[in-house]
Amino acid sequence: MPLFNAKFFDLMVHLPDDKGSLAQFVSAADEFGYSGIAALDLKYNGTDMDQLPSGFSLFSAVEVSGKPSRLRDEIKKYKDTGDILITRGRDEEVIRAALETQRLDILLQPVKFNNVLSKLASDNSIALGFNIGSIIHTRGDDRIMELRTMRTNLKYARKYELQMVLTCEPYSPYDFRSPREAAALAGLFGMRPKEAVDAMSSVPLDIIRKKSPEYIQEGIEII
Amino acid sequence: MKTMPTLREKKRYLAFKIISEETINRRELTGELLDSICLLFGDTGASEINPSLMSYDGRYGILRCQKDRTSETRAALACINKVRGGRVSIMVLGISGTVKGAMEKFIQQRLVKEPEPDKELQEHLNH
Repeated sequence: MPLFNAKFFDLMVHLPDDKGSLAQFVSAADEFGYSGIAALDLKYNGTDMDQLPSGFSLFSAVEVSGKPSRLRDEIKKYKDTGDILITRGRDEEVIRAALETQRLDILLQPVKFNNVLSKLASDNSIALGFNIGSIIHTRGDDRIMELRTMRTNLKYARKYELQMVLTCEPYSPYDFRSPREAAALAGLFGMRPKEAVDAMSSVPLDIIRKKSPEYIQEGIEII
Repeated sequence: MKTMPTLREKKRYLAFKIISEETINRRELTGELLDSICLLFGDTGASEINPSLMSYDGRYGILRCQKDRTSETRAALACINKVRGGRVSIMVLGISGTVKGAMEKFIQQRLVKEPEPDKELQEHLNH
């Protein structure tokens, strides 16, 4: 079976406030070969979920941020809503607080990641996010830093067998890149094509499955 | 004098489509492409990739590169996000071993599938 013959998902799409934007984003994602997207704060900006192309799925995601003490409460607040919970890893304390709560789904591009945090992420089945958009939109020193961060994170992800997620983090329909291009960009920091494909297809599908109302716990199902 | 066939370097042709806010001309695209490759891989990398824009009509185009450097070329194309201040996205439609193959398999097929803008507008007005 060809490597790129799978269903691809982008789990971190930023929708602007105007209502017509969803259709543009969906049509762009569909054209670039994605089978679904998760838009941030989708449920809260009054978007219509019915006008979607056939076979295309739309999910809701929430970016949780704040001080470590508030972050735990925020994550608890959203735990039963079915939204995909994402935290951006800028500060080590924030990363630790986020990883200690079991309900977080994706830790996006942590800057100071280490073996202790990797173990925590592994224990709580939290996926490590890689933001391809940062390679596309930065140049020079900033891009070097981003690539270095991603290279280090990839080492920890491999060592501790963490799930990996690739996202273009689009703010406009022009920010989407097709899965093959995303895999080529991921190759710049050492990610193998198979890992990149899994990071855009099977891992997002697994996260979506865990967020469904039927899911109870790993290994338990209602018959 | 021609290069011996055994020493000739193998090429690949990438068919691509440009999605942009404004129309981009050939000169701007070539400049942006070389900039992107040089910024990502440096001058040595650019010489190894050996890129050349074979054809471009403002929307679809064919880019030539070395056979074993297609992934790098894809990455460089994906890194182009702005031309003349307007937002741009380049989508690689496919890779072929010949210009004819790239044109027939990926570009002409798409053009056949897409309805002409005038016809589409006419149908819309009739309804």
